[in-house]
Amino acid sequence: MSERLFIHPLAWLIWLLAAVAVLTVTRNPIYLGLTLLWVGLTYAIVKRFWRESAGAPIFSPLAFALFVILVSTIFNGLTVHVGRLTLFTLPPSIPLLGGKVTGEALLYGALNGAALAGLFVAFAVVSRVVGVRALIRLAPRAYYAAAVVASIAVTYVPATRRHFEQVREAQAIRGHAMTSTRSWLPLALPLLIGGLERALQLAEAMMARGFAGTPEEETPLYPRLLALAGLAAILAGWLLRLVWQQALPGGTLMLAGGVMLAIALRETGRRHPHTVYRPDAWTPTGLLVGLAALLTLLLFFLPVPGLSRESIYYYPYYQSLWPDFNLWLGLATWGLLAPAAALIFDVMRNEE
Amino acid sequence: MIHFTNLSFTYPGAEQPALDNVNLDVPAGDFALLVGPSGAGKSTLLRCLNGLTPHFSGGLITGEVRVAGLDPVAASPAGMSTHVGFVFQDPEAQFVLDRVEDEIAFALENAAMAPQEMRIRVEETLDLLDLAHLRDRPLTDLSGGEKQRVAIAAALALRPPILVLDEPTSQLDPKSAEDVLTALVRLNADLGLTIVLAEHRLERVLPFVDTLLYLPAQGAVLSGDPRDVLAQTALGPPLIRLGKAKGWTPLPLTIKEGLRFVRAEERSLGTAETAVEERSFGATELTVQNVEGGYGRNAVLKGVSLTLRGGEVTALMGRNGAGKTTLLRSIAGLTRPARGHILLNGEEITQKPVAEICRRIGYLPQNPDNLLFAETVGEELDITLRNHGLHPGQGGAPPVEPMALLTRLGLARKADAYPRDLSIGERQRAALAALLVTKPEVLLLDEPTRGLDYAAKDALTALLRGWRDEGLAIMVVTHDVELAAQLADRVIIMSQGEIIADGPPAQVMGASPLFAPQVARLYPDTGWLTVEDVLGAENQK
Repeated sequence: MSERLFIHPLAWLIWLLAAVAVLTVTRNPIYLGLTLLWVGLTYAIVKRFWRESAGAPIFSPLAFALFVILVSTIFNGLTVHVGRLTLFTLPPSIPLLGGKVTGEALLYGALNGAALAGLFVAFAVVSRVVGVRALIRLAPRAYYAAAVVASIAVTYVPATRRHFEQVREAQAIRGHAMTSTRSWLPLALPLLIGGLERALQLAEAMMARGFAGTPEEETPLYPRLLALAGLAAILAGWLLRLVWQQALPGGTLMLAGGVMLAIALRETGRRHPHTVYRPDAWTPTGLLVGLAALLTLLLFFLPVPGLSRESIYYYPYYQSLWPDFNLWLGLATWGLLAPAAALIFDVMRNEE
Repeated sequence: MIHFTNLSFTYPGAEQPALDNVNLDVPAGDFALLVGPSGAGKSTLLRCLNGLTPHFSGGLITGEVRVAGLDPVAASPAGMSTHVGFVFQDPEAQFVLDRVEDEIAFALENAAMAPQEMRIRVEETLDLLDLAHLRDRPLTDLSGGEKQRVAIAAALALRPPILVLDEPTSQLDPKSAEDVLTALVRLNADLGLTIVLAEHRLERVLPFVDTLLYLPAQGAVLSGDPRDVLAQTALGPPLIRLGKAKGWTPLPLTIKEGLRFVRAEERSLGTAETAVEERSFGATELTVQNVEGGYGRNAVLKGVSLTLRGGEVTALMGRNGAGKTTLLRSIAGLTRPARGHILLNGEEITQKPVAEICRRIGYLPQNPDNLLFAETVGEELDITLRNHGLHPGQGGAPPVEPMALLTRLGLARKADAYPRDLSIGERQRAALAALLVTKPEVLLLDEPTRGLDYAAKDALTALLRGWRDEGLAIMVVTHDVELAAQLADRVIIMSQGEIIADGPPAQVMGASPLFAPQVARLYPDTGWLTVEDVLGAENQK
């Protein structure tokens, strides 16, 4: 195991946000393919140099990606009977599946599957490189207790996997075989009870070490009202922009809501005394990764004069199979390559 | 430092108090050992020290507790966290984070300690427990002993003057347990830390103890000098039992002290021969031939060959990672050998389904709780019978009458009880019943005495001897040298996936510095392993 390069957890989260946003919004095969390539490359490098973390995925991301793409392609191909390129026709008497199976439907299904697979791989990258403690630290102080609980849930995944294997073997020793849905009971019950027992033991241990889920000082009413007002302002601003196309007033309202929310969180956090041991520091590489991912987000989502985003949307049923391409958006996906590039550069420098 | 005055505590809904009128004192800087039978209330008593009882459990508490001058009930566990550090049985169940250093800093972060001070505190704690070289390691990579030392470090980070430990070595092998106890002794001696430790294996701890607290199932707590308390109770390791039987005064607590008495004795006993019991073997024969394999590419077993015979108890011993559990799992079919053969009465079983193998070979894994899930103990037996198609409701005939089996295991009155409400010893016997109801020919047990008190251990020994006499072939994987000395007809030692010694216990264990029981250390070169061997030889003389 070698952790060669430190990238601030927040930079990784911005990278994840950018990857998720791009993968969610575009079905253009070129942008999607480029994004998948950068995310996949990052995963391959991270897998080489980071050990498996507590929250690592249960399945191999590659196997999962292939499975999802296959299922999505078949499902879409068999259920959406639209398109010009008919491959074959199923008898119309078959409910839901009956009708022509088209190349466009298979292609769009594959693109949806690829986007899902990309999301899974992106989360797999971050779960490997961002530890439990880093996640707790990123949470606002007001939500420290909730973050600790969430992090415990993450670390419970591998423990539960190990426990499940032990229970499965113990029941096999008694001649247990999976024959019906009721056969899950001998596995599920010891797993559930064991999990609850461990949770109670952990709760005791945390209390004994001074962890309190509720603050000593109760949060007054005004930060709570401020948080509520902030959320309402963000929602109203968003509706103004989306429904009534009032970009400037909507944006201003959203910004004001964000400020109110930040003040409310700060006020609430002051009542949750907590310090941080060896806080994570920003490094030039971390900054670069964060800024590169922000640039991707900026080019894909924020208004940039002269930049057309028509090519993001791709719907093969009613347009040419060959997708449009905008050079700037294609280059924007390269922002997601920053962590992989930084890691490769670091490895090469260390080897020299 | 710790004062209990007429303390009683009753759990919610319970008819009987878990603690009844307890009075005790532990002076500051003492190493106090809390002993007593399972279910006597040791864990409850320890949890009164930091307010977990009744804050976490609920229930009714009366009387007075003063710990470091505070009332834990009024102060709450969070308030007591700077005065009492608490360490639990299972280290993994108490970790919040995933790295050594972060885990130690967790309590300090909660206490909002200034970062500079926190840094110093973590460094000091790492050094105290000799963990500095492990500071960046993920907790999952550590051995059991290292994990428990991290748990102690995490409990001590807030520098409490009292450290409370609830059977911290019950899940550990002897070497790891030794490491943990050595760390505790150092903390007590170097820092003057008051330590209250609940532990079943007295032989490990007695030499270091200032105060012994004996909490009986019924009656008043005995507390005071270990020798005085031990003289008034029936419990004790072989050294103490031998000392009492021979009238050694003061009672020796260490082998060194015991040797003084032995050397003063007339050494005519020294050459006495123990009668070698001629055993007749049963019809069962389990043969393991050149078995190799393990997990994936990692070959844990390297050409293991052995034969288990009916009517014989074999103790399988060795360091952690020697391949003992892998051998049991291979025999039970849970791990398929890469090479070699396993035969039961001449029939190859190597590749047979687990269910088919385990109908004829009972295998009790380390954690019997994983076997139990039914509403009642009786139902557990029915489920095993149904799994194998032997239940009367399926037209089958149980090879053993379930109620008769429960009676034999001392569980007849618990047949309708919920298995997880039983004591640890009873739960283990319930799991054994669920395995033995198919009347297997071979019984394999993995660390069966872990967490058991002396009474439960004696009960298990008696049961295993009875089944052996009826022709069952039994193999016990254990680190408990006293159990092996007491029970085994044959001892096998494994190292690095190979058998390095195989023979009668006196021959294999007697001369081994690592595996010799207390009696063998007192009387080397005699072949005696148990208190009964010594007293029997004396009677002969």
